[in-house]
Amino acid sequence: MKRKKFIRKATPYFFITPWIIGFLVFTIGPLILSLGMSFFDWPLTSEPVFRGFGNYIEMFTKDAQFWKSLKISLKYAAIFVPLNMGIALFLAMLITQPIKGVKIFRTIFYIPAVISGVAVSIIWGWILNGDYGALNYLLSLIGIEGPRWLVDPAWALFAVIFASAFGVGTMMLIFYTNIKSIPITVFEAASLDGASPARQFFSITLPIITPTILFNLITSIIGSFQQVTLVMLLTGGGPLKSTYFYGLYTYNNAFKHHKLGYASANAWVMFIIILILTALVFKSSSTWVFYEAEAKKENKKRRGGNK
Amino acid sequence: MKKKLAALCLLSLALVTIFTGCSKSKDNTDNTKGEKAKIRFASWDVAEDVDRQQALVDKFNAAHEDIEVTLEAYGRDFDTKISAGMGSGDAPDVMYMWNYPAYFEGLEPLDGYIEKEGESYKSNFYETLWNYNAINDQIYGIPIGFTTHALFYNKDIFAEAGVAEPTADWTWEDLKAAAKTITEKTSAVGFTFQMKPDPYDFEMYLWSNDTAFCDKDGKLDGNLNSEKSQEVFQMFQEMEKEGYALASEKSGTDEFRSGAVAMYVYGSWAISSLKEDNLNYGVATIPAFANAGKDSVSILSSSGISMSKDSKNKDAAWEFIKFWTNEEANKERIGLELPVLNSVVESEKIMEQPEFAPFYVMLEQSKGYTPASFIIKEWSEISENLSLSFEEIFNPSVLQNPSDVLNNAVQQ
Repeated sequence: MKRKKFIRKATPYFFITPWIIGFLVFTIGPLILSLGMSFFDWPLTSEPVFRGFGNYIEMFTKDAQFWKSLKISLKYAAIFVPLNMGIALFLAMLITQPIKGVKIFRTIFYIPAVISGVAVSIIWGWILNGDYGALNYLLSLIGIEGPRWLVDPAWALFAVIFASAFGVGTMMLIFYTNIKSIPITVFEAASLDGASPARQFFSITLPIITPTILFNLITSIIGSFQQVTLVMLLTGGGPLKSTYFYGLYTYNNAFKHHKLGYASANAWVMFIIILILTALVFKSSSTWVFYEAEAKKENKKRRGGNK
Repeated sequence: MKKKLAALCLLSLALVTIFTGCSKSKDNTDNTKGEKAKIRFASWDVAEDVDRQQALVDKFNAAHEDIEVTLEAYGRDFDTKISAGMGSGDAPDVMYMWNYPAYFEGLEPLDGYIEKEGESYKSNFYETLWNYNAINDQIYGIPIGFTTHALFYNKDIFAEAGVAEPTADWTWEDLKAAAKTITEKTSAVGFTFQMKPDPYDFEMYLWSNDTAFCDKDGKLDGNLNSEKSQEVFQMFQEMEKEGYALASEKSGTDEFRSGAVAMYVYGSWAISSLKEDNLNYGVATIPAFANAGKDSVSILSSSGISMSKDSKNKDAAWEFIKFWTNEEANKERIGLELPVLNSVVESEKIMEQPEFAPFYVMLEQSKGYTPASFIIKEWSEISENLSLSFEEIFNPSVLQNPSDVLNNAVQQ
């Protein structure tokens, strides 16, 4: 009897063991090991040497590039995240409109998101080329002489931001499904009351999708700090290290300079920064994210109080 | 779409350590049963080149009953995978190699093996090549292929401008004069060079002007910022400022192929794509510096084949290396790589082919130079700093004063 009970209880765990093992071996294991590595001077071909917090101290006190790269990544995140979310929301609103052929547009907007990062970098490398790129050609048609995007340090970061905004499709889709799930009756009621489309957007759509906005905000903050493919292939960190993102800095420390311990420390510092930013966003969310379930509860309470 | 850096870094960094454990347990099981000696061979080539290599490997396997070689094509990830493999003691037995300073501690010194083959084995290779496959006078790789740099020029543009084509005794003054005329008379720009040159490559111009990045102890001060070195940077910057040279965002090949520029300096890699385009081009040796009083020198981009010091079947590995570097294999690889054996260059009459001969002339002229990357221990970081400095000099949106930049670079 007891055995039968045990088997019944354990069965689901048997089914998920492959994933549990995968998680332990490929996620948690490496995570802990890299934390350990970050306290070592860990060259590639010779034996690692323990150096305590040496890597962290070196990073914060001696390595000018650490601060520079961190600043570049923060700047990128500060511009890219709002821009990306704005575009995604705008496109999502467009494709929820009851227009003919909207499905075609939906596909067109989403397609860039399925292209691999490598291909995106190559495409943008051509578009942004200062001398014979498509973007500067189009600008020249309206009489603007475009900058040399990937050569001028003042413009390169923006070039990278444009190129990353290309992958806005996934976020758009998340907004789209959320907006679609809003009952049409709410809008009908609002329009009977004389609310303009803009009013409807700000008073109905936006509050209802705040949980999705929160989700997108957090994932895109994390994504923007981890951005490495695009800069590696599009600019290589240049010109003049103006797009030497923190991710690229970490990658190069590990696989170019073969300082595995130092790079692990870099990665952990980034992890902590992301953790703090995410925590801040979560903390602030109670003031601006609206959950339907919560609202109902509050209503009930209020009613109870009125008695 | 966005590569997850956490996944990429944390995972691969730590996988290295996980596998350390695995590889140790494997030690006793392999090798003892008198089975075929298994050799893993790592190559960085891609696509059709891998198919050609596989055919060669199959040939070797067919001829050797007791050895089985498996080809592992790492392609673009070659360095990362070799790094990870060495870190975990799980490196392939035999691998392609170019970056000896970074990896030599994980490689088997080959001098003993070479000696056993007799003097004629070693002397059949071009002498200049050994320097690029050795560290501290110890040989770690057998040369596979190489390229020197040479001057590519577009014959049609030269004809259109009515300028005489480059010859072996050109100096940079001749090049400048030709570039000026071409820029004035045709729609093309005379010359292009890299805006962000790899410091490893760029050192050849310093050598040609009788200086270097560093002295034999690796000291930059007094070398990189010497007058002769500044002269080199100034010359390139002036060409750019005066408008008859273009600083290319990449290698310059795109500009050359499209006919936007008439000349550029590059390795033999460009030849296959230029042939594809049916471009009417010529190749000449790199111009000399008039005041240096000697021929120009080229950097070598060389590839070799090395053995892992952790290999368990070293004799079998050497057997395969010998096969991979013999005449037949050299001939098989023509078109992929410039042959490195005197006997093959002779029998294939390569010196009679005008597009290849200059690369061998440059090879002969470049004896006895050791790149800074072989001298300076922390080259990968120094190189990154130098690269930034060079870009400060050549990037058209800054064009900083070379002597300031170089003096600064020395301080770092």
